[in-house]
Amino acid sequence: MVEAARTAVRTASGGAGILRFLGRRLVQGVIVILIVTLIVFALLHLAMPQGPAQGILGMQATQEQIDAFNRANGFDRPLWQQYFTFLSQIAVGDLGDSFKLNRPVADAIGQRLPKTLVLALISMVVALIVAIPMGIYQAVRRGKTGDYVFTTMNFIIYSTPSFFLGLVLVIVFAQWLHLVPALAPQGDTVAQVLAKPAGLVLPVATAALGIIATISRYMRSATIDNLSEDYVRTARAKGTPMPVVIRRHVVRNSLTPVIAMLGYYLPVMFGGMIVVESLFNYPGMGLLFWTSAQTGDYPVLLGCVLVIAVATVVGSILADLVQALLNPRTRGELA
Amino acid sequence: MSATDRTATPVQGTDDAETPMLRIRDLAVTFRTDDGPVEAVRGIDLDVRRGEVLALVGESGSGKSVTAMAVLSLLPATAKRTGSIELDSRELTSLTEAELNGVRGKEISMVFQEPMTALNPSMRIGDQIAEALLNHGVGTKQEAARRAVELLARVGIPEPERRAAGYAHEMSGGQRQRVVIAIALACEPKLIIADEPTTALDVTVQAEILDLIRELAHSSGTSFLLVTHNMGVVADIADRVAVMYRGEMVEHGTAMQVLREPNADYTKRLLDAVPRLPEGGETVPPAGEPDSTGPGGVALPVPVLSLRESSVTYRKAGKSFTALDQVSIDIAAGEILGLVGESGSGKSTLGKVALGLAPTSGGELRLFGEKLGRGGLRGRAERRLRGRVGAIFQDPGSSLDPRTTVGEAIAEPLVVHRAVRPMSGRDRAARVRELLEAVELPASYASRFPHELSGGQRQRIGLARAIALEPELIIADEPTSALDVSVQAAVLRVLRELQERMDFACLFISHDLAVVHEFSHRVAVMHEGRIVELGATDDVLLRPQHPYSQRLLASVPVPDPVAQRERRVARLAARSAA
Repeated sequence: MVEAARTAVRTASGGAGILRFLGRRLVQGVIVILIVTLIVFALLHLAMPQGPAQGILGMQATQEQIDAFNRANGFDRPLWQQYFTFLSQIAVGDLGDSFKLNRPVADAIGQRLPKTLVLALISMVVALIVAIPMGIYQAVRRGKTGDYVFTTMNFIIYSTPSFFLGLVLVIVFAQWLHLVPALAPQGDTVAQVLAKPAGLVLPVATAALGIIATISRYMRSATIDNLSEDYVRTARAKGTPMPVVIRRHVVRNSLTPVIAMLGYYLPVMFGGMIVVESLFNYPGMGLLFWTSAQTGDYPVLLGCVLVIAVATVVGSILADLVQALLNPRTRGELA
Repeated sequence: MSATDRTATPVQGTDDAETPMLRIRDLAVTFRTDDGPVEAVRGIDLDVRRGEVLALVGESGSGKSVTAMAVLSLLPATAKRTGSIELDSRELTSLTEAELNGVRGKEISMVFQEPMTALNPSMRIGDQIAEALLNHGVGTKQEAARRAVELLARVGIPEPERRAAGYAHEMSGGQRQRVVIAIALACEPKLIIADEPTTALDVTVQAEILDLIRELAHSSGTSFLLVTHNMGVVADIADRVAVMYRGEMVEHGTAMQVLREPNADYTKRLLDAVPRLPEGGETVPPAGEPDSTGPGGVALPVPVLSLRESSVTYRKAGKSFTALDQVSIDIAAGEILGLVGESGSGKSTLGKVALGLAPTSGGELRLFGEKLGRGGLRGRAERRLRGRVGAIFQDPGSSLDPRTTVGEAIAEPLVVHRAVRPMSGRDRAARVRELLEAVELPASYASRFPHELSGGQRQRIGLARAIALEPELIIADEPTSALDVSVQAAVLRVLRELQERMDFACLFISHDLAVVHEFSHRVAVMHEGRIVELGATDDVLLRPQHPYSQRLLASVPVPDPVAQRERRVARLAARSAA
């Protein structure tokens, strides 16, 4: 990674190229986010043709109350007007107000998002620490017992829904063995959550296991591909011992596609977090999304989806950028 | 360097000659496959003496590369090796992996065929060379880095300091091969095993790399075990030759003896199959004369293919690259126009333009007198016209769909153009049988899949498919370059017979000047996107006028040690004069 940093610095001399590349990707990203908001906006209104009034005011609300609510909130205007109002608001960072939480959506998400990011980051780091050596080990021992054992394990984990996996972990490690609590630490800030690390063990484990199963497969196949490359033969022919060939030549070239993939994996992680957070009652954005979906708090839902869309776009730009910077061949194409 | 004559001196019984440096006895290699064991090498003996260049020759599947890989135990895990390999009386086959790593790169090193992929893409060139030194504890990191720069200079890389800090993708194939040679040289090994070191390179680059190898062998006394299929390369550089066929050693001796007076039948057949350019002056009439076109090559009023100032420009990494630069060319009906040039010269691009597979950025393309593209025929009319053009591509393996039977592949153009030429399913099947017979394959092959066929058979399928619609023009892009010489000879014979019978015109693209000479009425030489010389075959290939054509022709090694020595001396003299 030092090498990558050095590379990034050196390439900065051709910074105009990178800026142009980033600019192009940003424009694409904004278009994608616009389309996402449009689709979600349309879907939510299709699901609730009356608008959210019924959901917010309750089943007992009279038609007059509903009409008054719709007028007050602008839900009687044409849909395209409502959509453009929404767009102009998010342009200044205003995601509207929650119907249920009695606070601005941006506030609610702003308070929950860091905690989700922390949980996702810890899970990802743990997963990488396990998955990358596992993938390399499997590639080197391809077709041998160790490879089959890990492959079988990975497929079992991969095919198990994460809520079920989480439940199994809770039963075994919390209820039977009493090693760790079954409930995630509660609190408004990241610091409060991190203060009780024991409570993070099961959420992190649940999220990480799924990632391990995926990334170790990627790492395994990338390593296998690289092991059959001609440069490995060149390295061996100059007397480099095989473990050194793997460490010095193969791992770096195999990591490039895997690291790039992490960027694309970001939105998948957000999806996973919804399940993990609601399972362990972790106070993050995933849980917020889940409860808002149940109560029909649609400004919050739309805000969450927007955040995920932004994360997806940023993740894929980062993925492209990292991949381009790691690979000396594409580094030139940035210019 | 001086025109040192290594090939003409038969290796005399010096002191070292009695005790060969590398002594291989009864080497056998068997691969474990799903279809049972495959014997790749069947008990061969081979000696490499100190300071000599030994060429190990043979066609694909002869076991020559496997033999080379077996010396340093670089065979895949599915291979089983028996027999003895001694380096200076030290048995290599019983060494542990750690002991082998002490030999690899230190006492014996290797140069491989594919310079484009032989280097680590994400490691600096200098580090890759220094690694060879550091593996064997030669010097500190700083010393190794300095030595790496020296080695780059030694193998003729300009600006070695800058290159050492760069990456492989910034270099051409020839430069990369020089780097691989620098890695092999790093620890000054006794023996360098070079497996087809120039096969992937252009002839002018090949000549430079062979000069480098010759100079290294001469100045440092390094022995070379050179694996190659190219008899011209053998004639150029080898002191002795060993010929392999289907895992066995069929002949060995001095280069002079094996190439000029071969004993084994196989060697004779192999040498006969090598296409050669006649010596200047002597001429061979080309196959079938084109319609009312003299050998001088004055094209007919209505050529089948006519390009006027056609250009093709690609954008790569923000820079535009002109693959084809205002090229004008005509092919008359029934004429075979040979198109020669090195990689990147634009010859394949020209073929693609003729097939409508590359967009031109200007100029005019006419097929059979009709203008195509802007201001000309488009859509259905264009497609109908293009149906009269057939194509044959280089790689017979990948240009056939692995999930399609041979019969379906041949019938495909008939199906695509059914609107123009309606045909019942039964007629189509009959036509497929007829086409298979035309390329001298049994009709029963229609139900086979490509993987069941050999490379030569697959290329005949490509040929059958190309003639299915009875084209008036065939674009053949390196149709025999992936084939062994004996197979190439057979495929070319079929192509020539078909041409005589069907009288189609042909744009024959090849880097092999001798093949082009045998096959073409007229020849065009391409260089950097332009046609630098165009004329009757013998004029261009035997009496070239343009300096590039002259350099190209001088670089082609001929499979005769004496003639090749003269050519080399002449080429080096011309270079030092220039």
